[in-house]
Amino acid sequence: MQDVLLSLRGICKSFPGVRAVDGVDLDLYSHEIHALVGENGAGKSTLANVAFGALKPDEGTVETGGNRVGLVHQHFELVGRLSVWQNVMLGREPRRGWSIDARAARARVVDLARRNGLEIDPDAFVDELPVGVQQRVELLRELEREPAVLLLDEPTAALAPAEIDSFFKTITALAQGGTAIMIVTHKLQEVIAYTKRVSVMRHGKIVGRFETAKTSVDEIARAMVGGDLPQVAQREPVVQTPCFHMDQVSAGSGSTAIRDISLQVNAGEIVGIAGVEGNGQTTLADAIAGMIPHAGTISLVDVGMRTGVIPQDRHREGLVLGWSIVDNVVLGRQRLAETRRGVTIDRAAARADAQAIVKSLDVRAASLEVAVKTLSGGNQQKIVVGRALLGNPQFVLAYQPTRGIDVGAAALVQSRLIEARNAGTAVLLVSFELDEILALADRVLVMYRGQIAGSFARDEIDRARIGRLMAGSAS
Amino acid sequence: MNVLRRILGGPVGAILLAFFLAACAMLVAGVSPADGFQALFIGSLGGKQQIAETLVQTTALLFPALGISLAFRAGLFNIGAEGQLVVGGLAAGAVGAHFAASTPIAVFVLLACGFIGGGVWGAIAGWLRAQFNANEIISTLMLNFIALAIANYLVSGPLKSSAAAGAETAPLPGSSWLPLLIPDTRLSIGLLIAIAAAIVLRWVFTRTVFGYELRAAGEAPEAARRNGVNMPRMTFLALTLSGAIAGLGGATLVTGVLHRFNTQLSPGYGYTAIAVALVGDLNPLWVCVAAFGFGILEAGGLAMQALADVPKDAIHVIEGLIILVLAARRYIATRAEGAPI
Repeated sequence: MQDVLLSLRGICKSFPGVRAVDGVDLDLYSHEIHALVGENGAGKSTLANVAFGALKPDEGTVETGGNRVGLVHQHFELVGRLSVWQNVMLGREPRRGWSIDARAARARVVDLARRNGLEIDPDAFVDELPVGVQQRVELLRELEREPAVLLLDEPTAALAPAEIDSFFKTITALAQGGTAIMIVTHKLQEVIAYTKRVSVMRHGKIVGRFETAKTSVDEIARAMVGGDLPQVAQREPVVQTPCFHMDQVSAGSGSTAIRDISLQVNAGEIVGIAGVEGNGQTTLADAIAGMIPHAGTISLVDVGMRTGVIPQDRHREGLVLGWSIVDNVVLGRQRLAETRRGVTIDRAAARADAQAIVKSLDVRAASLEVAVKTLSGGNQQKIVVGRALLGNPQFVLAYQPTRGIDVGAAALVQSRLIEARNAGTAVLLVSFELDEILALADRVLVMYRGQIAGSFARDEIDRARIGRLMAGSAS
Repeated sequence: MNVLRRILGGPVGAILLAFFLAACAMLVAGVSPADGFQALFIGSLGGKQQIAETLVQTTALLFPALGISLAFRAGLFNIGAEGQLVVGGLAAGAVGAHFAASTPIAVFVLLACGFIGGGVWGAIAGWLRAQFNANEIISTLMLNFIALAIANYLVSGPLKSSAAAGAETAPLPGSSWLPLLIPDTRLSIGLLIAIAAAIVLRWVFTRTVFGYELRAAGEAPEAARRNGVNMPRMTFLALTLSGAIAGLGGATLVTGVLHRFNTQLSPGYGYTAIAVALVGDLNPLWVCVAAFGFGILEAGGLAMQALADVPKDAIHVIEGLIILVLAARRYIATRAEGAPI
């Protein structure tokens, strides 16, 4: 017997310049996983926040019938300097007199994790954990409140394939226990594999409702983009000449250290680094970007070569969120001759650059002067990507360039990377999504525990073997 | 309607609310608020002398407030403007007492001394932060005490004027005085220098590569670091320049108002200036307006005490309330802001 645990009627919510949600009706039933999918800025996160109660709708009603609603955010809201159990129990610590009953609290977290099949070290500090594990902490924190309705905003955006499987095992078990679950996502394979119902949002409205068993990835994707899927650019034959070298590079410490990495990226080539998150990819990228010291040599063939970086965390490392699109397009390029006029910044040139990015990557924004924090994640990422590719750099480091963005935006970003490659750019691509690596890379290197465990040219790619190498089993 | 709401929701609303609360406090204390405020405004704006005095206070607050704005914009909490102002004034006074040249050159040299003196004082905190990651809130505050102690020692000992009764340097020769802006008042062209500094600072913030990097460092340090901003260098430069601007303020007080250095140079301008900078939203032009507002309070406070028997400290109550109301409003505004899509 299924009950409606959460019911939305006629929800409208506007932000300055955008009607984010426009008349949505939605019911969430107990015992099932409901997927909410849609393009960037379709209003999915806003709707989830309205359902959760964090945002007040301009119109419409949210009927929870007294059921508790939990929301796991796309961007984690954890306290880095506290341990796992402290984060989970934050605000609801059991007391013993005036103090926190630490032992009871910790025991509760251990028990909760065990019951839900979530493997976790309760005493680890959150800021020392990889993203995939932080996700579990975030999930545990919501589960501790025993919500009847659980909303998950892009829960698998940063997870490795194996983590995704175990994540869905957990929430499937929760659904079987009676919880109504809604995942906001753009990964359609997951939708097909694990959910019961799908609602597709576009421009703030629900444009399609499907029973998962009776639909297909193709049908959902077409509903999302309102037509046929964008094609990813074709790779063209390019004469490859040496561009970027790493020779015996070691950096970092502990479990994410890299040791003796040697690799080469040619002009007109995309080299993909495959691997499960936490195997030293961040250290590798930071060493290349010059953010941490390293042993060994990292060099471009010609020191005057232009480089671009697509950083891992667009919010923290790539953008100044309170600034306009124009100002953000200048970031990292503020000292280049083309951006300056003497000691001042050439605003006209910056506007032209911003305009070019908006056009080439189809950034949806009311104007070039809006703060980037008001844009959806996909549009923010397009700005970061467009900026890295400005001025035809000879070398680009792309770290998870499509993290947490939807099909249409990802196809655009991938196309621009391939086009840059076709034009002779050397691209080093780090991604935790094997499909992305296989779609883009001319050569695949597998990274495991800080070392290169295997190398494959495009015509000798063996998916199963790459998967085994990623997991650390023998070659 | 919307415009009105935005204006009332900003600093103006905060000031009105603060005055309302201050009026309530006066009522409780048994003073008529009408008399109190009348005295305040007559004392600050009621005539040429009063207006000039208000502008003297405005000038004194404006320099350190601009310096503080620069540091705050870079994400550095420089609360050492007081010490930087004192060191700047001391440098100008010490050199000025033994230095004579024709007017424009002498004044220029003394102002440069103040700029450099304050800059050195800011640079110490900047170096400590850049090199050892020493918290600038602590170091700038501590440097205030050191600056005052050193100044006290020097004006009671090595630099003490033999002619003066109190602890102060010898007076500056007339050729080193800043020209008056309004004759027969204490108002010098220091006001114009301060306003020019604000305009330059605005240009630096909004137009220059340096200002761009400074704001990036303040708003998103990690993004700045990863995008070509040399953070230790920026920290050092921002605190140095911040101190230099405050020091320039000290030198204008010495060359424009006191015409000598003593430790009564500042009744806490460097601290009040923190509020001025925040009320002005760290935006140089609004900081000018805020400095004028606080100048009214500082200059009118004495009149309020004399005419309406409201203690001068009531002014500090009003200043405190303005900050409190502003902080509360900002907090409420942040909470009410919708989440991005």
